[in-house]
Order: sequence, then structure tokens, then C-alpha cells
Amino acid sequence: MNGDADEHDTPAEVDATVRTLRRVAVGYFVVFLVAIGGVPGLTLVLDWWSQGRLIGGMSPSFVMAAFGLYVFFFVIGLAAATLSTAVESRMLGGPDEDPTEEAEHQ
Amino acid sequence: MNTASLVVLVSLLIIVGGLALAIRPRGVSTLDFYLAGQRVGVATNASAICGDYFSAASFLGVAAAVYVSGLDGVWYATGFAAGFVPVLLFVATPLRRFGEFSIPDFLGRRLASDRVRLVAVGVVQLIILSYLVPQAVGSGITWQLLVGQGVGGLSPYVTGVIISTAAITGLVAFGGMRGTTWTQAVQFLLLLAALVWLAIAVLGSGFNYGTAVADLAAEPLVNPVNVDGQWELATTPNRLEAESSASFGEPGARYGGLGQFALIITLVMGTAGLPHVMNRYFTSPTGTAARMTTVWVLGLAGLFYALAVMLGTAARALIPTAVDEHPWLAELTVDGVLRVPEHALPVLGRMYGGEAGLGLVATGALIAVMSTIAGLLLASAASWGHDVYERHINPQATQRQAVWAGRAAVVVVSFASAGLALGLRPESLTALLPSIVATMVTWAFALAGSALTPVFILAIWWRRTTAAGAVAGMVVGALAAVAMFVAGAVIGDRGLGEMLMTPTIVAAPLAAAVTVLVSRRTQVPEDLELLWLKMHGTAADRHAMRLARLTIAGVDRQRKDRGTGDARR
Amino acid sequence: MRGGSLPLAAVLGATWGLVYLVTQVFADPPLGVGTTVVAGVILTLLLTLGYPSALRGPRVSRASRVSRLPRTRRGPSSGSTRTLAAVGRPMPLRSGLTADAARRTAQLLRPLLGGDAVAITDRERVLAFVGPGEDHHTVGDPPQTEATARVLAGGRTVVVRQRSKLACREPNCPLQSAVVAPLAIGKRIVGTLKVYRVYTDPPARDLVEGMAGILSLHLELAELDRERNLAADAKLDALRAQINPHFLFNILNTIASKARTDPEEARQLLLRLSDFFRYAVRQDGHFAEFGQEYFFVRTYLALEQARYGDRVRVKYDIDPQVLTAHVPVLTIQPLVENAVKHGLADKLEGGTVTLKARVDPLTRTTAIQVSDDGVGIPPAILDKITSGELGASVGVGLRNISERLETLFGERYRLDVQSTEDAGTVIDLRIPLR
Repeated sequence: MNGDADEHDTPAEVDATVRTLRRVAVGYFVVFLVAIGGVPGLTLVLDWWSQGRLIGGMSPSFVMAAFGLYVFFFVIGLAAATLSTAVESRMLGGPDEDPTEEAEHQ
Repeated sequence: MNTASLVVLVSLLIIVGGLALAIRPRGVSTLDFYLAGQRVGVATNASAICGDYFSAASFLGVAAAVYVSGLDGVWYATGFAAGFVPVLLFVATPLRRFGEFSIPDFLGRRLASDRVRLVAVGVVQLIILSYLVPQAVGSGITWQLLVGQGVGGLSPYVTGVIISTAAITGLVAFGGMRGTTWTQAVQFLLLLAALVWLAIAVLGSGFNYGTAVADLAAEPLVNPVNVDGQWELATTPNRLEAESSASFGEPGARYGGLGQFALIITLVMGTAGLPHVMNRYFTSPTGTAARMTTVWVLGLAGLFYALAVMLGTAARALIPTAVDEHPWLAELTVDGVLRVPEHALPVLGRMYGGEAGLGLVATGALIAVMSTIAGLLLASAASWGHDVYERHINPQATQRQAVWAGRAAVVVVSFASAGLALGLRPESLTALLPSIVATMVTWAFALAGSALTPVFILAIWWRRTTAAGAVAGMVVGALAAVAMFVAGAVIGDRGLGEMLMTPTIVAAPLAAAVTVLVSRRTQVPEDLELLWLKMHGTAADRHAMRLARLTIAGVDRQRKDRGTGDARR
Repeated sequence: MRGGSLPLAAVLGATWGLVYLVTQVFADPPLGVGTTVVAGVILTLLLTLGYPSALRGPRVSRASRVSRLPRTRRGPSSGSTRTLAAVGRPMPLRSGLTADAARRTAQLLRPLLGGDAVAITDRERVLAFVGPGEDHHTVGDPPQTEATARVLAGGRTVVVRQRSKLACREPNCPLQSAVVAPLAIGKRIVGTLKVYRVYTDPPARDLVEGMAGILSLHLELAELDRERNLAADAKLDALRAQINPHFLFNILNTIASKARTDPEEARQLLLRLSDFFRYAVRQDGHFAEFGQEYFFVRTYLALEQARYGDRVRVKYDIDPQVLTAHVPVLTIQPLVENAVKHGLADKLEGGTVTLKARVDPLTRTTAIQVSDDGVGIPPAILDKITSGELGASVGVGLRNISERLETLFGERYRLDVQSTEDAGTVIDLRIPLR
């Protein structure tokens, strides 16, 4: 079995990946901060945010706090995770191999 | 409990049982992870993390906060859930890839310094202690409601604190409650099942979320206050608009302008520094799996907290009208409003399920509390035994000695937390600090977010972080948080005091700035390149995944050969 | 990414509809106009900026950081991709002899040819018929006039003056006379152009023949286009075969010497080398994902770093969105190789080669920059390169690349070379985003 197929990263590659991933993480973090600052913050700025009624007696502020923001967290979490994994797989490691192909060659 | 809710409860428990069987452990290696199917492993890990993370604060405290303060209480839930986003973005994957098993170990090896490890241990122990106290308080309150009587002349609250603390301490120190992934995951599922059951019961009885909020918003928010020994209802003033009273669906019942942000930032930054949660990341086989696990945690946490918020609202809406039907409510409420808001969920359980319902919710609360306490005590024990005792006090220690050191530490820490919990009587404090459990947990988050998280994130993403910088950052962050906190307790709860009570928004940037400044002037660790590669390179992950894939392909082929061999025979 | 504007317009329309719904219908009391407009504008901006990235998967839209260099070579592009001459108005037949093209041509030509009905056929059937009689001279049928068969066979124009020779089955057919001219590509007759009249005087023969000649020219140009693409493929194959044999020799040397001192590293280098050649040989097609080209570049640089040690330092700066953009295959590594061979190899203390890659969603450009702080290119040689003369090997490599880029993008690319002696070289490549 070709189990000695060693994996190796050069410092330059890892450095590049860190730089790119850091950019991704900071970008998403800024979006996240804007959202969690914005939802309470809009109360101070926009009357409609706490006076309007979207569902029953729930203001937009309430809707966002009670379930909108959870959906948002999950979505940006998923987006950031998928992007980070995709970036890592493209910037580190070899080209995609076919596992069945490898199994044949044992 | 009527038949409908009984049926729902039983079916939920059957589902939980089935899931528990499906995810039972077959081994912890990467290979087993793959054999069991990647999704299952990730979901199980995520459930276990949730089980560790969701304490009494999440289960009882969030509903209590919503009950008392309306929208301002919802920010607790938001903050708790949001805390995992920075974990996902900045911490999860590199932490797992580096391979050290606790935060002090991680920082110590990343910065190649024992001093960093020691300081981190100190901060971690403080965090653990401040997280343990509200758990003990929560268990005391639950006992008070569930059993209602004390033992040996002690009040029910005191009895509850002592018994649950003693039980858990015994289990952790001397027994096998190792808090495996599986037990934590099943505990979380049970917790979720209790919430789902309550939600279904409440919705089934005609609760409409939208109209309930509309009704509640129509009147000003009232809460009980103790005036000269008499409990009466008083309108809660609106801190966002002076001269008017607070309303349920609008902010301002608890926090002024600054406080709204300060609380959320505190909770968001704190999660990444919680030792017992971060330790859980090492059950993921690869860094990528750790990342995906966090995504799942965000989903599960969102579901959990959305339900908790809805139930807090339901409690506020339904309890006043239920006092007539349920005479036992009379002594718990003042004109239909609960005196101790943490009773909200258990009361709902009793309303819709009788004694059994109360038992279910109380059991859920106790499970949440005990599993978190166990996780915290284990983290503490490992830290004392391994980081401090083995490395510094007695470097020649045998395995047994280290284990005993850990056990001793567990007993001391849990006694300290029980003592503090006994000193704080929740009823007297409710007027000062509504939803006391959630508030106290916030202190732990504030400390974690100010002292650990900034240093942690800098150590992971900035090459030039040095040991001296990290020590300076942690010390400054912790001191700033504690100092601001004490100042806030003295000044009081308004204006600047609000921010002082949730100090992360100032203390964390301060700690980060200090770390950067000091690091610029000192030396980086010598084998920085190797450490950096280990933390951010995917070589080990790829190697492990390739091995797993090859082995599975080999196993599959063997199975096929054997199959055809049998057929031929 | 053609036709991206239509979905974008649809999405924008839907967004405004949604904003309207939320602010005027769902909200109670309805919002003011100002808030609605502000919300709509913000969403529109976000969508327009983030839209190209969103189409490629979950991405955060970012503005690009483009380094501005003084241009020393070609100017920016115009819009069209075809640069060969067009005759008068653009003729539909440039894409070849198809039914659709024939119909549009016939419609175009009808007023010009002094006839009443125009038809175009290929060798087997009628491709288009426009004018009186089109109800029964239907597209798709074999041509009815026996004159057509004669023209196809003989290659000469035929004039038909008698109705009976038109051989139309329909007794009420108004057509009385016709001129049939051949359409030819070189010596091959590929179809006919037929002009009919309802009078007994046939249309002007010269006119029809002349027009048939012009149409034939267009068909020939279409053929040449196809051939040129085939030629470009062939050139690419030749380029692949050109992978530098010196490189292989040097690397194998390095590996052999390391095999004694550090066998682990030697093995890893061998793995990298095999990755390198597998990639180079396996490419078919003009484009590859940037992530793949980047893999090739970093494999190459890992090998060169093993050979030169600390004298070659590497820095990458890659935007996450550029990883899935499509770039011309085997374009980036030659630039990097130039930087290492000519920039850094001769410098005693070595230097750093930097690869920067960005995507600009607004101008829909992929920007790639390869820079080094090596010995630079002397101004004389730089002039020779930019003027296109055969110069040093640097020039040949760049010329090949720019020729391929022209084949692929026409005028829509930019390749800038800027160099200062003893300070370094910067090569800037801008191509359309795909």
C-alpha cells in the first residue's frame, strides 16, 4: 500500500493560505459585527425598527432578535466555512486524486 | 398531564433514544470517523459541544431574562449563539490542527513559554470558578421548585446547592463520569427534547407568538419588587427613553443605549475563551471537521435559543391567566408575575404536564447544570493536575499522584463555588439583578472575552506574537475586566455603570493593543516556522484523510472479495 | 459568464419588489418613501457589487487592490472580438451557412437585388425563401428548379426565363423568372443564391452574380476562423512540449545531492516534480482554473527553492475569489520562471518573487502581477521586448504568451512589463474575468 504518500507544505504556501484565510475571516467578521451592532443599533436610529409590526405584535427588531439573527449566524457560518475549506483545498496540497484510482493501484 | 402531551413526550423520548443509539461510539480514530460516516460524526461532535456549552444559563436563564426584560433579555440568547461565529472564523480549525489539548497548553507551546502557560492557567481557573457559581445557584433554585423542602433544617435553596454540588463532585473526582462525547451529545438531545415538548405543548394550547407579543406590548412591563418586606408590582422604567415605561417587545427594559451593545459584544467574545468548550474541539479528527462541527453548533444553538425565547414570551403571556386554574402558582407569583424569573420554564412544565412535566423540565435543568459542572470541573482538574502539579510543583510526579492532585483540586474548587452560591441568595438579588443566573454567567464570559480571546486570536493569526506580549495582554485584560466590573458594581447599574458591568467592549481591545505593543519589542519563539506550519498547514489532515480513504477502500474490497468467494463456494 | 446582465436585472427587479412589499404592505404603519428608497438603493448596490462573486459560490464581494504601473506596451481594449474586416454591414453568413443565417441574409438582400423573391440553398435543400411564393417553396425541401442542380454541378450562373423551367408544382405560383448563382468556397460549390421575379424579365444577372461573390467571400472567412482556432490549439501543444529540459536536469541534480543528506526532503521533491509534470502534460483546452495554475506555480517554486535555498524567497498574495477564475493555461508559471531565472538567479544575495492575484468584479477583470526584486531588465532589452523584436529569451517567452493571449482575447487583455535595473521587475497581466 502506498501509505508512505507523505504530505508536505512549504512555508511559503502556508503563509499564502494564512494571508488569504485571514482576509476571508476578517471580512466575514466585519459583516457579522455590522449585523449584531446594527440590530440593536437601528433602534436608536430608526423609529420603524421598534414601532413597526411585522408578524402579529412583533417589531422588526424583535423578529430579528428572536429568530432572524440565528438564521443569519448559521448562514454566514456555513458560507465562511465552505469558502475557507475551498480555499484551503485549492491552496494547499496536491491536485484532486481519485480515491478509487488509488485503491486499484495497491 | 393530558394524553396529547404525554404522547408527544413519549415520541420525543423515543426519537432521542433512537438518535442516541445511532451515534453510539465505535471508536475515536479517524478511520472509525469515516466508517461511521462523516456527517454523523460531525453532528455528534456538535451535539456534544452544545451539551457542554448549554448550562443552566441557557436553559433556565435565557427564558428568565426574556420573561423579566422582554427584548433586552433576548440579547442574552443572541449573544450566546453568536459567540460561535468568532470561534468558527478564527479559532476552531487552527486550534485543532495544533493538537494541544487545552488553552494553556496551546498558548504555552505556541509561544514556547512556561510563563504563558501558568498565567493562562490562572485566568482559566478564574473563569471556571465564575462559571461554576451560577450553575450552583441554578441547581439551588431548581431544587427549591422541584422538591420545595430542605433537608436537616436548611432551606430548599441551600439544600439544592449542597446536594447537587456534592453529587457532581463525587462523580467527577472519584468516579468515571468522564464526559465522553456520547454522553454529552445525548444530554443535549434530552435538553432539546424537553424544550421541544414544552414548545409543542404551549403552541398546542393555543399560544400564538405574534398575538402574544402584541398583547404584551400593549401594556407597560411590570415586575415584582420587594418594598419593606412586601412584594408588589412596579412598572419597569424604560432606560432608552426617560419618563416612559418599558414595554415587552421593545428594548430599554434593562439596558440603555450603551448597554445594548456591551452585553452582546461581551457574550460574543467570551465563547472563544471558555476552556471546557474549546477542549471539546479535539474530538474532531481533522481541522476541517472542527470547522464543520462549529457550523452545526451554530444551527443547533440557533434552534435551541429560538425555542427558549419563544417559551420565555409564552411564560409572560400565559402565567397571569393561569393563576386561577393552578393554585400552587399563587405563592410563586405576585399578581400573576413570577417573583423568581428562573421559575418560568419549570412552571410552564407543571402547567402543561402536571408533576411529570415539572419533573421533565427540572430534570432537563439539572442535566444542563450537572453536565456543565462536570465539564468545568474536569477542565479545572486537568489544568491543576497536568499544567501546574506535573510541570511545576512535582515534576517527578507519577500518574497516580497527578490524578490525586486533580481530585483534590476538584473538591476545593467545587466547595468554593458552592460557598459563593450560598452567599448569594437569589431572591434578594433579583431586584438588583434580574435573571441572576444569566447575569452571573455573563461575568465569566466577560473575563474570558477580555483576558483570553484577544490573546488567543492574535497568537493564531499574527506571527509576531511573543510570550511576553501574551502575558501582558492576559494580565491587562483580566485586571481591566475585574476592575471595571467592581467599579460598575459600586457605581450602579445605569449609564456608564452598564458598560462597566459588561466590560469586554473596552477590556478586549485594550488587551489586544497591549499584546501588540509588547510583542513588537520582544522576540518570537525560535521554531516559529515549524509551529506556524503545524497550526495552519493541512498536511497532517490530508495525510490522515488519505490513510482513512485508502483503508476504507481496502476494507471494502476485502468485503467484496470475501462476498464473491462465499458465492463461488 | 455571458448573459449575466439578464439574471442580474431580474434579481434587481425582484429585490425592489421585495423592498416594496416589506415596507409598504407587511409593515404596519407603512414606511416613509425615504426609508424605502434608501433600503432599495443599498440592496441594489450590494447586489451589483456582490453579484459576480455570488454566482461562483459563497463569497464576500471585495474591491480589488490594483497596482498602477506606467504602461510601456499595448493600450486598453475595444469591445469587439473579431478583428478581420467586415464588408459593409455585418453579414450574418460570417458564422457559416446555416438556415438562420441564410434567412437573415435573404431578408437583408431582398430589396437590393431587383427581384421579388430571394432564396438561398445549400447542396441538398432550401435554407431560406423570402417573398411571394414562400408559402409553397418551403424551407427544408430539396430545391425544385432543375436549374439549381445545374448550377451546383457546373458552377456557373443560370438564367431562367420560362415559367415551365422553374418547375413549381403549384399552379398559382406567381413567380415567372429567376437567376441562380453559385456560392463557392474556393473551388467548392457549397450552395446557391436564387433571385425570382413575378415578371417574365429576369433580374439583372450581374447584380446577382456580384452579390453571390460577396456572400462566398463571407463563407470563406468563416471557414478561416475555424481553421485559425485549430491552429491555436496546435501552437499550444507545441508550447507544452517546450517545457525547459534544463529545468529538469537541474532539479534532478538537486534531488540527487539531497538524497544523501536529507532523504526525506528528496522524496518530497520527487513527489513535487511528478506533480509538476503531470499537470503540464495533462492540460487540454485553453483555460484552467487559477487554483490549478497556482498549484503549478507553487510546485515549481518549491522545486526552485530546494535548488537555490534561501536565495529564492517567495511571497503569495491571493484573493479568495480569484481561485475559481479561469485563466489561460500555462501562462503564469512562465512569468514566474522568468522572474526566477533572469531576475533572481544572478543576484548574489538572492531576492523575493511575489505573485499577486486579484479579481475586480466591477470592471470584470482578473489581475495577476509577478514581481521580483532582482537584477531587472536593462532598458535596451526592454525596448526590444516591447517593440516585438526577437530578443533575449525573456522576450521570446513574453511574446509567446502575448500571442496566445491575443488569440484568446483579441484586444481585451493587457500585459505590462516594467523594470528598473538592479531594483526589480514587475509584470502585470489583466484579462477578462471568466
